[in-house]
Amino acid sequence: MKKLFLILTLVSLLTSSMVMAQVQPGDTQYAVSLHAGYGHNLTYGSYANFDIDAYLPINKHFDMQANVRTSTANVHTMGVQLRPKFALPVGELYVEDRLMLRFVSRDSFRDFVHALSVGYMMQYVNVQVGISNRIITPLPYTNHSEDGMILEPFDAVYRVEAFVRPQSAVWNISLCVSNMDNYQVERMWQPMFYLGGWYDINEHWRVRISGKMKLAGMFHLNAHYYGAELRAGAEYRF
Amino acid sequence: MKKNIVYIGSLLLVLGSIFTACGPEARLDMVGMFAGTSPKIDERFEESKVYNDQHGFTTLQAPVDDYRVYVCTDTHVTKTQTRWTYFIDTYRQDPLCPVAVHLGDIIDAQNYFDEMYSAYQAVPLNPAKKDTLMAVAGNHDIYFKQWPEYIKYFKTCYYYFVVETPSGKKDLFVVYDSADGTVGSKQLQWLRETLEWADKQDFRHIVACTHTHFFKRDGSQGHTSNYTQEETYALLNLFEKHGVDMVWSGHDHSREITQVKDMTCIVVDSMKDEDKKPFYMLVTMGEKIDYEFISVADVR
Repeated sequence: MKKLFLILTLVSLLTSSMVMAQVQPGDTQYAVSLHAGYGHNLTYGSYANFDIDAYLPINKHFDMQANVRTSTANVHTMGVQLRPKFALPVGELYVEDRLMLRFVSRDSFRDFVHALSVGYMMQYVNVQVGISNRIITPLPYTNHSEDGMILEPFDAVYRVEAFVRPQSAVWNISLCVSNMDNYQVERMWQPMFYLGGWYDINEHWRVRISGKMKLAGMFHLNAHYYGAELRAGAEYRF
Repeated sequence: MKKNIVYIGSLLLVLGSIFTACGPEARLDMVGMFAGTSPKIDERFEESKVYNDQHGFTTLQAPVDDYRVYVCTDTHVTKTQTRWTYFIDTYRQDPLCPVAVHLGDIIDAQNYFDEMYSAYQAVPLNPAKKDTLMAVAGNHDIYFKQWPEYIKYFKTCYYYFVVETPSGKKDLFVVYDSADGTVGSKQLQWLRETLEWADKQDFRHIVACTHTHFFKRDGSQGHTSNYTQEETYALLNLFEKHGVDMVWSGHDHSREITQVKDMTCIVVDSMKDEDKKPFYMLVTMGEKIDYEFISVADVR
């Protein structure tokens, strides 16, 4: 099963690379963003996050994104998303191939997630659904066999996001429920709730602010606050 | 007209679902999905702490060095209690068993604590031995505002107990509440302090008992939720660092055994009366911990 998982991951990476190799640079804008955030949860207490994200549109049919987060909670994440997309008469259909590696150094674990999803982006709504799999590895990982790894082979990912204004607007506010973001892919029964917004200062600079709420026990049917994060930063487009 | 029929039909469906989910015979507390109706874990911890501070923790005497512990979970007692009473009778009749553990979801939904307790009391005691049943709170035990009833019968949601053998060996069993998918901050601190204290003692084995399982490794967990990822890794690391030999949990209804470094995490099968493959776990606590799963499929 683990071998199958590795093979599937390699195949999906290879497929994405082939798609990338066949496309030519388009005229959409590259973007780099820097965010800082404050978080609190019942396990870590208070912590701060620092994020660097790069958005790389290859052409109108393909883009990719890279994300890096370091946290004072001693959890460090790097991820990449490869996103072939297809314009429809209304909206855009896309496939997202997400790879994410988290070093939960504070607890001596490494968490590798692969998520493959299909999404439909419209001016006011973005919907995404797919599958994910996860390899959990205790650290330090000295045993070069599969025995030390824990595989969670099949899970679901989803995102439902609504915007109050068209996405081309100068400012916007969005509400979202999802079990994944650029720095974490949770199990399917652990949704996270987001409220965010942006404002375009000019054609190059955009400021963003967002909040995230995580409840524990929603599907234990006794939901309570678990954690929250506030994140703010700026994006430069060129 | 067509639109109106669809609209009214949808509205009736939604209202019907809410009524079914919240009514007196409801099995699932849908309100609790968004706003828990029982106190949250830190509040349950504080309430339990009052009891623990007054009564302390228990030390039990095992009849032999290699004694037995009977472990079951997810009995989901409703109007029938056949396997629940069978389990009680079985461990009571075993002269080598000083303690049995129920890993949560003792009852299925609201109003069944009385049935569960009446059934427990109806099983004849074994005059030849003294035995104890230790309980863990499961999500079915506390949603629908059932926490006051749970604590009425079981007094506390977190504790430890020690089993001492005739030759002076001691095993530590740490029981903690994960009934709403988190251990919370106060209980996590208690777990840290308890395991640090345990490091200084000479325990032969340490076992952690709770309801929620750590992993989502197969399709059986389609309907059950875990801890948050942050808590999953924090608990695993804490237990592993302090030499916990085993973690016993339920919730999933389907057996799963996962090795995390030197620690074995066991999810025990459920034992509902309606289940087609019900098991309990029979553990022999000796120099090493042996376990086997005993089917109760024939108990109807």
